[in-house]
Amino acid sequence: MSVPDGHLLVLAAILFAIGVAGFLLRRNVIVVLMSIELMLNAANLTFVAGSRMHALSVPGATPDPTGPVFAIFVIVVAAVEAAVGLALVIALYRHKQSPSLDAASEMKG
Amino acid sequence: MENVLFYLTAAGAIAGALGVVLGRNPIGNVIALLACFFCLATIYLLAGFQFLAAAQILVYAGAILVLFLFVIMILNLGTAGPLPRIDREMFRRRRSTLAIAAAAAFLGASALAVSRLQPRAALSSVPEHGLDAPMTLATSLFGRYALPFEAASLLLLAAAVAVVVLAKRGSRTRPGDPS
Repeated sequence: MSVPDGHLLVLAAILFAIGVAGFLLRRNVIVVLMSIELMLNAANLTFVAGSRMHALSVPGATPDPTGPVFAIFVIVVAAVEAAVGLALVIALYRHKQSPSLDAASEMKG
Repeated sequence: MENVLFYLTAAGAIAGALGVVLGRNPIGNVIALLACFFCLATIYLLAGFQFLAAAQILVYAGAILVLFLFVIMILNLGTAGPLPRIDREMFRRRRSTLAIAAAAAFLGASALAVSRLQPRAALSSVPEHGLDAPMTLATSLFGRYALPFEAASLLLLAAAVAVVVLAKRGSRTRPGDPS
């Protein structure tokens, strides 16, 4: 693939912006969690693009695996976030019988 | 050929992401997110990260999205009747303009950052085992990044305990529960 690495970064930025918009716009807790997953994936894509740029700067050498290693850590964090977040969704649903964030507004100032 | 495939999958990933944000049916949102993750895995593969592509499919599509589907089905959130495809209500709220402005500002800032990048020739050929050969990945993960690796295992343990506590506490204090 000979696509410029900048295009990977642009794709990551677009996905992150869509995730931000979904996080702020939607009121369904599950969709909000999915938007967070989308943002974490955009971060992963940025790691991939950065790793490619770095691999190009030293031709012939063994590629530095720091980018993919951190992408794997991001995947771990995403899995943990999904598990805890969905447990919180179930707890919220038990109390409010609604998946909407508007139902949980006691702490609102 | 590969470039065409990249732009096609990039468009697919963006379409899937938009489907997640705009769709009304939670099951449809999960399917859109699944399509987006598969497109991203293809992009990783094209970029030369084979292990990462496999991990993306296994962990995201195989574990995380199944968890989302489980919760949607446990809570019975899937809608039975036909709904308008796109939830227009979310654009009519007062704070929506601010939210879209924040996302657009982020997009503009990152576009500016990308345009300032030093132009470089694209990596035309990747090594045989890709840019994340399992050998080099493991040497790095269990050598230089051994401490973050152990921290990740602690994080997973803490999360497992937290999920069990959250689930158990909720079921004990449920109103109208006979036991």
